[in-house]
Formats: sequence, C-alpha cells, structure tokens
Amino acid sequence: MTDPANLGEFEHVVLLAVLRLGDEGYAVAIRDEIEACTGRRASLGSIYVTLDRLETKGYLKSRFGDPTAIRGGRAKRYYALRPRAVTALRESRRALLQLWRGVHNVLAGTQ
Amino acid sequence: MTRLPRGIGRLLAWTVPLDQQEPIAGDLLQEYVRLRHRRFAAGARAWAATWWSAVQLAASFMWERLRRDRTLPPIADEAPRRSSLWAALAQDASFGLRILRRQPGFASTAVAVLALGIGATSAMFSLVDAVLWRPLPYVHGDRIVSLGEQRPREGRWFGPIAPADFFDWRRDSRSFSAMAAYLVPPSGAYSLTGAGEPERVAALQVSPEFLTVLGITPFLGRDFRFDEDTVGRHRVALVSDGLWRRRFAADPAIVGRTVTFDRRTFEIVGVLPARFWWPTRPEVLVPLALDDHDRALRGAHFLGAAARLVSDTSIDRAREELRVISARLSQEYPLQNADHAANLLTLRDTLVGDVRPALNVLLGAVVCVLLIACANVAVLLLARATGRQKEVSLRCALGASRSRIVQQLMTESLVIAITGGAFGLVIAWSALGVVRGVLPAQFSGLPGITTAGLDPRVLAVTLGFSIATGIVFGIAPALASSDSRVIVGLGEEARGSTSSVRAQRWRSTLVIVELALSLMLLAGSALLLVSFNRLINVPPGFQPAQLVVSRIALPGVRYGEHAQTVAFFDALFDRLRTTPGVRRVASTTSLPLDGLDSRLDLVIEHRTPSPERGALTAHARLVSTDYFATLGIPLVRGRFFTEHDTESSVNVAIINAAAARRYWPGEDPVGRRISLGADDDWRQIVGVVGDTHHEGLDADVEPATYLPQRQVFSNLGSTFERTVTLVVRSANDGAANASIVRSAVSSVDPQLAIGSVRTMQEVIDESIAPRRLNFVLVSAFAFVAVVLTCAGLYGVMSYTVAQRTKEIGVRMALGASGRQVLGMIFRQAGWMTVAGIAAGIAGALALTRSISSLLFAVNADDPVIYGTVSVLLAAVTLVAVAVPASRATRIDPLTALRDY
Repeated sequence: MTDPANLGEFEHVVLLAVLRLGDEGYAVAIRDEIEACTGRRASLGSIYVTLDRLETKGYLKSRFGDPTAIRGGRAKRYYALRPRAVTALRESRRALLQLWRGVHNVLAGTQ
Repeated sequence: MTRLPRGIGRLLAWTVPLDQQEPIAGDLLQEYVRLRHRRFAAGARAWAATWWSAVQLAASFMWERLRRDRTLPPIADEAPRRSSLWAALAQDASFGLRILRRQPGFASTAVAVLALGIGATSAMFSLVDAVLWRPLPYVHGDRIVSLGEQRPREGRWFGPIAPADFFDWRRDSRSFSAMAAYLVPPSGAYSLTGAGEPERVAALQVSPEFLTVLGITPFLGRDFRFDEDTVGRHRVALVSDGLWRRRFAADPAIVGRTVTFDRRTFEIVGVLPARFWWPTRPEVLVPLALDDHDRALRGAHFLGAAARLVSDTSIDRAREELRVISARLSQEYPLQNADHAANLLTLRDTLVGDVRPALNVLLGAVVCVLLIACANVAVLLLARATGRQKEVSLRCALGASRSRIVQQLMTESLVIAITGGAFGLVIAWSALGVVRGVLPAQFSGLPGITTAGLDPRVLAVTLGFSIATGIVFGIAPALASSDSRVIVGLGEEARGSTSSVRAQRWRSTLVIVELALSLMLLAGSALLLVSFNRLINVPPGFQPAQLVVSRIALPGVRYGEHAQTVAFFDALFDRLRTTPGVRRVASTTSLPLDGLDSRLDLVIEHRTPSPERGALTAHARLVSTDYFATLGIPLVRGRFFTEHDTESSVNVAIINAAAARRYWPGEDPVGRRISLGADDDWRQIVGVVGDTHHEGLDADVEPATYLPQRQVFSNLGSTFERTVTLVVRSANDGAANASIVRSAVSSVDPQLAIGSVRTMQEVIDESIAPRRLNFVLVSAFAFVAVVLTCAGLYGVMSYTVAQRTKEIGVRMALGASGRQVLGMIFRQAGWMTVAGIAAGIAGALALTRSISSLLFAVNADDPVIYGTVSVLLAAVTLVAVAVPASRATRIDPLTALRDY
C-alpha cells in the first residue's frame, strides 16, 4: 500500500489536475487547470520538475501526441495516471476525509 | 510563423536532455504566443510585448528548474544552491568546458595562441630563474663575493689580480672569514693518463681556502692542507663527483690512489660533493702553489679571487675596507699600484653580469608576446561575447547580478587559459631542450643553465601565468558583455543589430595594444639586427679567410726549457711549410677573439711613472717570426720580426697602433725601449703593427706588445708560455686542413695531443654567438608577435565587416561604390594602425635604456629604424585588412538586405 505521506502537496495538486484533464493532460494545460481550479499560478518550470519527479516515482506515464501548428509543428507530451497514482490519490482522499470528519462545525464560521 | 525566441531555445538546449526538448519547446512556444498576445491586447508595443513575454516565459520556465536541478549553472546570486564559492566555480568550469566543446574552432584557436605565449614565457622564465634568481648552490651563497682589480683610468672595473696584492688584501682585511685565489691553467685542462684512455679533464688551481669560501667539504677524504700550497708538496688533487664515478667507478677507496695529470703524478686526497659547481666546470682541483717569485709579483695580473663575507658585514663595508687597504698599497708601491684598487662584486654578479641585460630583454620580449596572445584571445572572446548576448541578457533578466555574470565569463576564460597553460608546458619543455642545445659556449658557465627545467617552481609560475592571462584576456570581454547598456535583444528583433559602440571600442583598444607591443618588439629586433650587422662588419684587423687554428699545450716535463719549446716549433713549422697547401704558419700565445690574453705593467725608458698617470699596462703576446704575415696584420711603421731576433741578439718588441697612440702620442715609438712586468730587461721597439680585436669585435682595442718567441720572456709564466695557438694559412678552405695539422704535430711529437682544429671564422663566430642568439630570439618573438597581431586585426576587421553587412548593403544599394566601401574599411583599420604604431614608438622609446647595453654602433632611438619598422608593420597590417575589405566590396545589397 502506498504511503500517502510520500505525495507532496504540489504533487497531489498536479496529479489531480492530470486526472481532471483525462486525455488532454500536457504541461500548459495542467498549469491552466491548476490555475482555473485553485486560482494558483504555478510556473511552467515547477510543473515540469514535478511531472518529471512523479514520472520517476512511477505515478505518471507519458506519451507524445501529434504535432500542432500553434506549437511550431512540435508534439505535445501527454501525461496519464498509473494505477498506483490512483491508489495513492484514493488513499490520500480517504485519509483527509477521515481527518475532516467532525471538524466541519469548527470551521463552519470561516466558510 | 512565430518562432521561439532564440535565447529561450538555447536555454532549453542547455538545460533539457535532447529527447525531452521537443514537447517542452512546443509548450514554451504556445505559452509565448499567448503571453505576447495578451500583452499586445493590453496595449503594449510590439517590441515590449515580445521582450517581456520572453523574459516572463524564461523566468517561469527556469525558476523551478534551477532551484532543483543541480547540473545547471547557477544564474542568480539569490538562487538557492550549494552555497560555497568553490561549488559555484566548479559548476562554472564544467559549464565553460561544455560550451568550449560546442565551439571547437574557437576553443582550439584560443588555446593554441595561449599555449604559444605561455610556453615561451615559461621557458624563458625557467632560464632567467635558474640564472638570475635562484640561489647559488652554496650555503649562504649570497655571502660569497668575487674580488677583482679595478683601473678606473683605463675604464676597467674588474680584472685579474697580481699575487702580491692578493696576499696583502688577505692579510689585512677583516671583513672576510676566508679568501681564496684561483687560476685556470692556461690550457684549461689536464690530460689524465693511466687506467684507461687518455682524457682531457678541466682543472682549476686553487688556494687551500677555496672550499671553505664556497662552504663545502669533500664528500670523501679531506680538503687541501695549508702546507700543500707550496711547491714540492703540491702534488695532491681533489676530483669531482662526476669524474670519480666516470673514471674511477665510484671507488670508495679512491683516497690515497695516485693519478697522472700531464705526465705528473698526483695523489687523490678527496672527492668533491655532487653539488660542487664552478663556472669553468673543473673536474680536478689542485693547489695553486705559487713559488716565492710568483708570490711577490705585483706587475703581473692573473689570479682570480673569491671570499666569504663574515656574517655581520655588508658588501659595502667590505668594499670600503678593501679600498682603504688598496690606497695604502698604492702609496707603498706607487710604481705598480698607483692607479688600481680592489673591487668587490657578489659572485653572482661576476658570473652573470654580461648576460643579465640580455636575459631581461628576452624576458621582456616574451612577456610582450604573451600580452599580445592575451589581447588576441580577448578579441576572439569579444566577438564571441556578442553572439552570446542573448544568453547574458537572459541571465540578467532572471536576476543574475553583473558580478555573477562576470564570474561566469571569467571562469570560462580561466578554463581556456589553464588548458592553454597545460599545452604551454609541453611547448616550454621542448623549447628548453632546443635552447639548451643552441646556447653558445660563453653561456655554459652560467649557474643553473644546464639544469634549468620544469621544476615545481616553474610549474607554479606557469599556473600563475595561466591564471593571470585568463584574468587579463577575460576581464575586458566579461565587463563589456555584462554591461547593462549592452544587454539588449532577447527578442527576435534584436537580431542583426550592430554591436554596441563600447564592445567595438574594446576591440579597437585591444588591437591597438597588440600593434603597439608588436612595434616595440619589431623595433628591438631591428636594433639588434642592425647592431649585429655592424658588428660582423667590424674589420677584425687581420684576414680570417683560409686560416685554421689549434691550441697546443706543451707538457712541462719534456718542454721545461725554452730551447725545447723553440726546437719543437722550429721542427713543426719546417714540417708544415713543406706540406702542400700550407702557405704560411705561425704561433702565438694569444689568438685574437679567443679569450686568452695577459696584461702586464709597462715601463717606458726615460719616463718616470707619475701618480697622475698611474701604472701603464699592455698586453704581452709571444709570437713566432711569421705571425703578422700569416694573419695578415699590416705593418704601420718599422719592421716585423725576423729570423735574426734570437736569444743572442738584442731584445726587441713590436707594439700595436693603440699602444702607439696612447703612450707615444705624436711621437715615433720605434727605437724606444720598454720593459714588461717585474725585473724584465729593456726591449727595443722595432715596429708598430695594425690593431687587432682581441677582447671582442665590439670592444676597444687595448695597447698590446708582441715579443718574439725565440727570445726568453718569463713574466707570462711558464705554463702560459707553453700554451700556444698554432695558426696555419692554407691555400684552400677544405676540411683537409685539420688532418694536415694533426699529422704534422704527431710526426714531430707523437705523444702530444692537440685541441680541436678550428677555422678562424669559427673563432669569430663563437665570439659573437651571444649577440647572434639575442638577435635570433628577439626576432623570433617579434615575428610571432606580428603574426598574432595581424591575426587579431584580421579577426576584428572580418567581424566588423560581418556586423556591418546590412549597413554596407544599404550603402551600396544607395549608390556607394566598391571603392568607397573599401575606403571606409581601410579608414577604420588605418586609425587603429596609426594609433598602435604611435603608442608602440612611445613605449619603445621609454624602454630604450633596457636594450641599449645590447646594442653596438647604433642608437636605441635611431629614427630611421623606427621609421622603417613602422612602415613595415603598417604594410603588414594592410595585408591583414585587405581580405575582409575586399569581402566587404563584394557584398550583394540584395542578399544583405534580405538575410540580415
């Protein structure tokens, strides 16, 4: 079983963005998705670094897409989750929900 | 179609593995287009939108990568990284190496130029260090001094000493812990016989304190005892380590063995340590052992002397003490000592005095070459820096400070310099081998010259040179290209713009410096060339063509009597005269330009020596009857010697024109009587002959007397008298002469060994060899300098033409003729040349003093020479400029405007 603590916070965010994008998960789109969902502007550099790391850890796999004109005829590199990433996300979500249980009321005032 | 800004593309190429670049490049382009569009829509101008988008994109791309990826060079001071300076340097260095590998042409050119400069400098440094700076191989070598005799009135400052003076100095002085006299035997060497092949070994006669003065003790056995310095007990010898190993197989029981030198038996009392060194490289030391007659001589000057200062005395105080002693001796012996006094020099100054200015000039010349090499590489770097402007701009945009950029660029320069230094060592190593091979004989007595090599000290200095050159050639390009005013052009629009005025100015300055240094070297080389040319055209005073000479040392055992010597030469001359091809034959105790001469006090009849005029001196040379005719020395007055000038006839002498001028100005010396040295009989002057150069073609001719060999003259000393140079004038120049001489000598005395047979021209060449070497080396440096300078100028002008292609294209499109374009290029090169030459002349004139001691019959500020080399340099630079200039005229306006 994957240890959820193995997943950094930003890695968590990137994995979720890849998950949300489905087949369209390449760097620029991932960055935009994160911004759209969280309002947080990540630099492309940090996206690449994180994607590299996640791929090394075995959470992500990538494939090359077709070249497009707007990219000067260059291919995109699409990312997709590996099963262990899904497991890790699921586990992480479970752990967080568990932790959230019973504290809704405490934070209700702030929401 | 929009393209990725070049700077970003390059950044990507450096930081991302090749197989991963494509999608990232795509992402970046997509992002760039969006950013720019967004800015443009917000009302930004096109260039600003482009520029800022590129910067933002680069920042967004690089920021996180740099934080994480340690293989990348740090680009900003603020960027977190492994903090130490060394880590940063290591990163810069590996980055620099990567960049150099990408530009092999640039890298190999720069490294080659620097290797040449550093190699030459290291080799020269190694020589200069060994000869001038390194301590002599003795304990407290700086306390060892040489003593000599000065005769200010004759302009002589350091000559050999009369024995009686030496013993008085030694008795009365308190500044020295030991004082020793020495004498090189006239033939310079003994023939060692018995136990193997006969062999000539260099010998030195020394007084017993000699080793004490040098501060060494025998490695085996003992030093000389004081009682061994007397005739009768003096048949003892110390042998050098080399001779001991070579000849005696390092026999540990050698002490007490006897050997035969010049047919006399000596007992070996000790072996010198391996570090024993003396300029004449003696392999045998024997006691000086002067007899009572010689010890009392004040009029014959032939001893050398060395002494060790006591530890609390300065050389000036010792000199002062000797001055007082000399003054007292002058009063006691006004006849002999009137105008001379003791002089004192450190041993090193005595040894290297003549060579020091030459070595300093050569070192200066080689440093000029190194500076030119630096300037050349700096020019290359500046041109390259323009190509890297976007990279630098990007780094600045990402927050790198100027100092950080300079550090990065300087590290790259150092990588180039140290690589150049490594190759330079190889060049230095081979150059030293070559130089050691061609050193003239006069240099062989210099301390350390044979051992000069690449020791740790030279290695350290070479590393220092390399780092210094890296800084020198790197600093200008680094400053120029990191200048914020230069930093433009991340975006595409900046492409093709002319390089900044400042970078151009840097380049021009460097070329001017190169031109100036080249001119200085050319001027120095031309001055030495003219000196050398005038020197070899000095008439020597005799006819050197078809003369062969050979030195003969007659052993005292069989030739102790004057009559025996006379008989030997009579037989030899008879034999040679009947040999076909031999036209004349003669002998002399002192051959012109051959280094062996002796000076005696001169007494003139009816002329009372006055203290104002001081003692008179003249060289004394014993010559055979036919000497003047054989050498072709002209008769000025009177007559030559004849067969009738014998022991039974009246004593006669012939003087040279210099003696006549100095001692009988306006009078006829023929018929006057003179005597030479102590207790000499009166000799009548029968003739005056032309002057011959003995001390060197560049030295003034000194008064000299010639005495007939057949008449007895003992003041030269018997060994000196028996060391004679045979002179043969033959009908041809062929190599057969050597065998003719050898066979004649061996037919008269089969046991006699003679020295090498040389032509007189070889003797003359050898006497000017040091000047020839100076001239050849400085010319070689000047040649390299001019080639490098032209390469630099060519590079700058080519670069300028390439940079201005668009501008030139526009000019031509608007109607400028090829001639006008040519004029434009030549004007630019022309002012650099003029400025460089002017600066070079100023620099050369400021340095004339350092070279003037190497010159002969030419002024160090000779305007004709400066004019000539200036024109020469200007002409050469024209050639260097012609190629880029003609390229400029062939620019096709259409192509230029379309492509640039």
